[in-house]
Amino acid sequence: MSRKYRQWVKEYQDQAWTVARYILKDAQEAEDATQEAFVKLWNHQDSIDPDRVKPWLMKVTRNGCLDRLRRRRDNVEFDESYMAGEVSGPMQGAAASETAAWLKRAISGLKEPYRSLVVLRDVNQHSYEEVAGMLELNLAQVKTYLHRARKQLREQLAEVRP
Amino acid sequence: MNEHDDKWEDQINALLDGELSADDADLLKAQASDDRVLARAIVEAYQLHQAMDQVKVERAPDSLTKRLNAIPREHRSAPVFSLFQPRWAMALAAVPLVVIAVSLMRPDTPSASEIAQARQDLAIAFAYLDKAGAITGREIESTVGHTMANAVTGSVNKVIQSENLTSKEKEA
Repeated sequence: MSRKYRQWVKEYQDQAWTVARYILKDAQEAEDATQEAFVKLWNHQDSIDPDRVKPWLMKVTRNGCLDRLRRRRDNVEFDESYMAGEVSGPMQGAAASETAAWLKRAISGLKEPYRSLVVLRDVNQHSYEEVAGMLELNLAQVKTYLHRARKQLREQLAEVRP
Repeated sequence: MNEHDDKWEDQINALLDGELSADDADLLKAQASDDRVLARAIVEAYQLHQAMDQVKVERAPDSLTKRLNAIPREHRSAPVFSLFQPRWAMALAAVPLVVIAVSLMRPDTPSASEIAQARQDLAIAFAYLDKAGAITGREIESTVGHTMANAVTGSVNKVIQSENLTSKEKEA
């Protein structure tokens, strides 16, 4: 049982951590939220369909993060330390890392559920069906909301481009 | 591109997701050649797609990995909780049975003092029984003798009276 759990940690910790990091924007709190999700996974491992562990874990991680945000009541707050240095626009520096840093910030600035949709689909590369299960939305809703989210990012990207 | 062009928005995303059919892709390209706004939207979408490729899943810090790997050790089922698990409940229920069985199976090995006490008690009991038996025997003998006499004389008198009555009835 412990071996199976350790395999889940190995496979899913990065994705769960990424979800928590984008939503909470605070490293310490993201660690706590990710740990809480894995504690729940450990405690409920016998009742979870082995084929559904990943979407289950992502859903629990996200819900835990949103609960924390509600408690914190500052879901528009940014943790500036999340990005390495101040970047006013992705094209000011040619380095791809700067573009990535700008985009991370832009993704973090999206409202829910757009932020989670972009992280789960475009960053973590989950399938549309998996994302629908994680967010308890139907496939059409996932596509509609994701398209809106991408459009927002696209427009922001266009604004900062020279 | 404006609000009524949600269809194009869907198709742009489908194109980037690789889910757009060849026919629909050709249709989108043809439309974009006549629609500068749509063409710009497609270009921006591509740029976002390329930028998104730079954003990777973040590697969990080592401190988190240690915390996650420690969970099985730190969150084992509590003893109180485990008492309610079927296997433990059965084991607990079996304990009194085992104790009783062992006590019944244990060989009786009284001590010397216990044996001496038992012999003394037994002697007293027999003495009492002898005395009580003698008294009871006399009472039984007297009671049974008297009763037997009554029973015999009583029954004889009844027979005589019955026969006397029958002969009178015949004579009548």
